Amino acid sequence: MAETVPSLLAQGAAATRAAAHLPPAAHLPPAAHLPSVAHLPPAAHLPLAAHLPLAAHLPPAAQSADATQSATRPAAEGFDVVVVGAGPAGSAAALTLARAGVRVCLVERGPFPGAKNMYGGVLYGRVLDGLLPGWWQEAPVQRWVTRRATMVVTPTQSLTVDFRTTAWGEPPYNGATVYRSDLDAWLAAKAEAAGAVLLCSTTVTGLTRGPTGQVTGVRTDRPDGDLPARVVVACDGVNSLLAKEAGLYRHPEPEHFTLGVKEVLALPRQDIEARFGLAGREGTDIEILGCTGDVPGGGFLYTNLDTIAVGVVLQLPGLASSGRRPEELIAGLKAHPAVAPLVVGGQLKEYSAHLIPEGGWDMLPDLAADGLLVAGDAAALCLATGIWLEGVNYAIASGAAAGEAAAAALASGDTSAAGLAGYRHRLESSFVLADFKRLRRAPGLVLSERVQRRYPQIACNLVERLFTVDNPNPKPRLLAAGRAELRRSAVRARDLARDAWTALRAFG
Amino acid sequence: MSGPRVGVAMKWVPLRVEVDPLTGAVAADPRSSGASGADLAALEWGLRLAEAWGGEVLVASAGPTEADGLLREALAAGAARAVRCELPAGAPGVLPAGAPSELVAAALAAAFAGVAVVVCGDWSLDRGSGSVPAFLAARLGAAQALGLVALWPEAPGVVRAERRLDLGRREVLRVRAPAVLSVEGATAHLRRASLPAMLRARDAAVEHLPAPVPDPVAAGIPEPPGPIRRGPYRPRPRVLPGPDPGASARERILALTGAETGRTPPQTVRLDPGPAADRVLAQLRTWGYLE
Ligand SMILES: Cc1cc2nc3c(=O)[nH]c(=O)nc-3n(C[C@H](O)[C@H](O)[C@H](O)COP(=O)(O)OP(=O)(O)OC[C@H]3O[C@@H](n4cnc5c(N)ncnc54)[C@H](O)[C@@H]3O)c2cc1C
Repeated sequence: MAETVPSLLAQGAAATRAAAHLPPAAHLPPAAHLPSVAHLPPAAHLPLAAHLPLAAHLPPAAQSADATQSATRPAAEGFDVVVVGAGPAGSAAALTLARAGVRVCLVERGPFPGAKNMYGGVLYGRVLDGLLPGWWQEAPVQRWVTRRATMVVTPTQSLTVDFRTTAWGEPPYNGATVYRSDLDAWLAAKAEAAGAVLLCSTTVTGLTRGPTGQVTGVRTDRPDGDLPARVVVACDGVNSLLAKEAGLYRHPEPEHFTLGVKEVLALPRQDIEARFGLAGREGTDIEILGCTGDVPGGGFLYTNLDTIAVGVVLQLPGLASSGRRPEELIAGLKAHPAVAPLVVGGQLKEYSAHLIPEGGWDMLPDLAADGLLVAGDAAALCLATGIWLEGVNYAIASGAAAGEAAAAALASGDTSAAGLAGYRHRLESSFVLADFKRLRRAPGLVLSERVQRRYPQIACNLVERLFTVDNPNPKPRLLAAGRAELRRSAVRARDLARDAWTALRAFG
Repeated sequence: MSGPRVGVAMKWVPLRVEVDPLTGAVAADPRSSGASGADLAALEWGLRLAEAWGGEVLVASAGPTEADGLLREALAAGAARAVRCELPAGAPGVLPAGAPSELVAAALAAAFAGVAVVVCGDWSLDRGSGSVPAFLAARLGAAQALGLVALWPEAPGVVRAERRLDLGRREVLRVRAPAVLSVEGATAHLRRASLPAMLRARDAAVEHLPAPVPDPVAAGIPEPPGPIRRGPYRPRPRVLPGPDPGASARERILALTGAETGRTPPQTVRLDPGPAADRVLAQLRTWGYLE
């Protein structure tokens, strides 16, 4: 430094942020008398352009988003496959591809995998046995689900089928509660460790296509952001921009979607264990029917180590026509006499909402196009049937299948829709499409008015009648009581029989 | 690149923390940690200065290994070199109070030796005092201009800078290298790194600088008188006019709450831009701001 610093900007700690204590510039000696830090006229006297940020003064080239990039440099280095979305489906796809020696880039819009996902859910881990043997030793699990309950409720009653087994609390475990930000980050790290390139904070904005319309890569929101690839695997979740852009959805009807709304409530670990009758890492998962008033849907409640997640899923047209607000419905569920004692005192940590593709088989899009595969929620592979709400396991399975199919297509040199058809065959020969096919009538049945409201009322009334001791009247007979309840509910025997048949075909 | 080198100091901080309402314990998730808005603005200003002067940017962070991710993002945005400076063993981490500013500045000064102008964020998110840039300037023997809201490069090594003063006044300074500048977070948005740069930066080398020999006292900075008091964090004091301490408790409460005092109720007015501007000026005049 050639010149000394003037007193206004004295050196050292004492001058830190001294500006606020200094006299205004107008009171200082003229600029000409100052050494290295000269005072110019106050900003208010400068011409307008002088107030603009620096970029405005620079020539256009210097304003380009990345001055170190030359316009002539080829876009990104080549990848064989680009996987879009580092959710469970995307990470499973990238992991499978990387293991097959394919150059794969996993692109995620969030700053890290899971950043865009909601706090937690239940993971049914059997699907991981093949992909990551011994996964339970290192997966970021909160609790092992050892208690699985299905509860039907009316505004004043509840009836629960409550099952628990110690077997699910031991390896190989059945289900686990996990925080999605942990699970997604863990799975993506596995893909990275296998050789996939993870690119975060980057949103894919569309597909690029070749002369014949085949997909040749993706476009991102970054400067010079085209990422060419021979196959794109779209795992970008329920709103899949890419599947829609590729025209794979023929029936995107709103009744195929529900809105999942969830609160995560913090509670001391010992309170959770006392309330739910748990010890150690045991956990509970409760699915609830009849708790959403006049909006078709359902509810859920499950335990993490020191939080519980409680939420509702609401069918979109029903929600829209009801005029109700989702938070009102969660509040109603939390206030229900069967639920309130479980959640009382919980401190709200997170409130979030996300769409769920619940249409099942009838909603499935085409799963492949030339150069493109679609997996997980992006392919509507989420199963919601009242007693099951599972999406993560189908996402992992379909992602892995997409990865295998893409690797096989690359090896054979045919990445057209025909070359990628192995994907659908893989899903058909696995539990994924088998479940969806068998349970194709379940979503319609579960969201029907009778299942949503009348049957819970009938079941609760029947049980109340059976367990009410009103001596000196004799004990009620089960069949007679059932008939009386049916009569009272005005459900026609024909409808009951039809629903029973549908249920038998779906679940039987 | 023949122009002067520009340094940018960036701190790896938790961007979101959870505070236990009972114990006050603070927990941070390293995944949602990174650079504060002020440090991102500093990088953007650093890049603009380097572009204007034909120089290059050296970005440095004194922090844990996780800070390498942050430095790689800076490389992707256009920095030419990245250095992570080790803090002396045993120096406190990012939370709860961060390492002492003298230590951080000493570590950063080693990285910035020979750099013409260093740009920093005005203060870090994790209870920063804003003093690191000042300590750094002292270490480097450089001029300092802190809390800036805009910069304009002039001849290589010379910056015109605007700083906010009290009562809405602004001060425009001309700062010559070597200098340390600190900028407010809202003054610039970091440019978006290109996709190829992002991919390249994944494998880019981040240089590591070992911790400097423990010498917590910067040259030229007097030893603080007496022992340093250690205690819980207290936000910086602001001068607020309080009620007359001689008044009764009731009178002081009335004075504090403003109950029983006449006030101008808030009004909503809908006016065209011209009359609206006149109205705003008239009100400012009423309040005595335009005297
Ligand atoms: C309230 C609620 C509760 C649920 N509970 C359960 C449960 O208990 N058990 C269960 O198995 N399932 C549950 N599900 C369903 C489950 O969350 C989904 O089925 C599953 O997450 C689907 O995984 P995915 O990888 O296909 O998509 P997602 O998990 O949605 O991941 C998509 C990823 O793609 C990224 N992305 C999206 N668009 C772009 C883009 N343009 N560019 C770059 N990245 C992009 C997103 O940031 C995200 O990381 C629940 C869903 C909800 C809403």
